[in-house]
Amino acid sequence: MNRLLARFVIVMLYTGAALAADTQQQTLPALAKPFRAPDFMLPGEDGKTYRLSDYRGKVVVVNFWATWCPPCRFEMPSLERAWARLKDKNVVVLAINVGESADVIFEFTGQYPMSFPLPMDLDGAVIKQYPVTGLPTTYVINPHGMVTHRAVGSRDWDDPQLMKALLKLKK
Amino acid sequence: MNRHHDIFRLAVVGVVRSGLAALLGTAVTVSAAVQLSTGVDEQAQLPFWEISDTSMELRLVQRLPDQTRGFFTARGFSAAHAEMVAQSCVFQTVFKNKSQHGTPSPLTYDLRAWAVSVAGATQSMKTRADWKAQWQRLAVALPAQLAFEWSLYPTQQVYQAGDYNWGMSTFNLKPGTAFDLKVVWRQHGRAHTATIRGIRCAPDVDITPVAPP
Repeated sequence: MNRLLARFVIVMLYTGAALAADTQQQTLPALAKPFRAPDFMLPGEDGKTYRLSDYRGKVVVVNFWATWCPPCRFEMPSLERAWARLKDKNVVVLAINVGESADVIFEFTGQYPMSFPLPMDLDGAVIKQYPVTGLPTTYVINPHGMVTHRAVGSRDWDDPQLMKALLKLKK
Repeated sequence: MNRHHDIFRLAVVGVVRSGLAALLGTAVTVSAAVQLSTGVDEQAQLPFWEISDTSMELRLVQRLPDQTRGFFTARGFSAAHAEMVAQSCVFQTVFKNKSQHGTPSPLTYDLRAWAVSVAGATQSMKTRADWKAQWQRLAVALPAQLAFEWSLYPTQQVYQAGDYNWGMSTFNLKPGTAFDLKVVWRQHGRAHTATIRGIRCAPDVDITPVAPP
C-alpha cells in the first residue's frame, strides 16, 4: 500500500512539474544571423509619427499584431506589464498593427489597455521588409540597430527571464 | 478535457532519417512517439484533430462556414468572395515547437508538401499564393487582401523552440467532406511524416426554408 502511495505521489509530482514547465518556460530565440533593422516611419493610432531610427541607443521590441489575431490578444496584457517595468530602463515597445484603421485599434484598446506606441502599417509595407510569415511576430533590436532575437507566437513578456534577456541587450 | 486518444485512426507513416540511411532508401521507420487526439476543442466547441510528440503539437479545429463568412465580410470582402473561402473547408490551425521542454530543435514545414486525400484522389492544400492570385484576378480591395494574407496559415515556417503560429488553413474541399491529411515536418535533423485519417470539414447550414409537415 505504501509502495502504491509512493508511486502515486511520484506520478503526481512528475505531472505537476511537466504542466508547470509547459506554462512557464518562455523562450526568446536568438537569430543565427542578426541583421540591420529596416527603418520605418509610421503614423500612430494616437496621431503621432513613429520612426524606428529615433530610438537608436535603446533596446526596441517591435511587435507585429492585429486585433483579430487570438495569440496577439493573449500577449498584449503581459506586454503592457513588461512595458510598465522597463520603459524607464531604455527599453521601447513599438506594437505595429497590420492593416487596421485607427478606429478599430482605438476600440480594441478599450478592452486591452495599451500605453506603448501603436504605429499603423496600413498597407503592409513595413511588415514586408521584415521576415514575418505569421502574426504575432516580435523582433528585438539592440541599441546598435541590429535585429538580434525573434519570437513567433505569443509570449508572457513580463516573465522575469524574458525581461532579463531584454535588459541584457542594453550592454 | 473533451479529448480522447484514438491511435487507431492515426497512421504514422514513418520517420525518414537523414544521412546515409536515407540515401540508401532503407530508413523508413515507424515513430511510436507521435499520438493523435480528437475531441471537441474547449474554446471553439468544435471538433479537433491533433498530432503531437514530445517536441511538437499540431491541432486542426473545424471552422464553420458561417464563422468564415462573418470574419471576411467584416474585413472588406463581398459576400460572394467571402463565400468562396467559406466553401473551401477552413480549419483553425495551431502548430507549436515545444522542444524547449527537452532537446531544443528548430521545426520546419512547407504546406506544399502536405497531401490531402479524398476517396483515393490526392490534392494539395490551397495556400496564400493560390488565394493571392485568385483575389488579384477578382480585383479584391487591397486592405481585404492584406487581412486575408495574415489570417491564413503561413505556407512555410521555421519555428525555434517555443515558437508557434495560429491561423486558418484551407483544404479546397466542400463542407462536410471527410479526408486524410499527410503531414510532413522536419525536426531533430530528420523528416517526419504522419497521416491523420478521417478529418471532416465542418458542414454548412441549410438556409433553405422547409415547409412545415
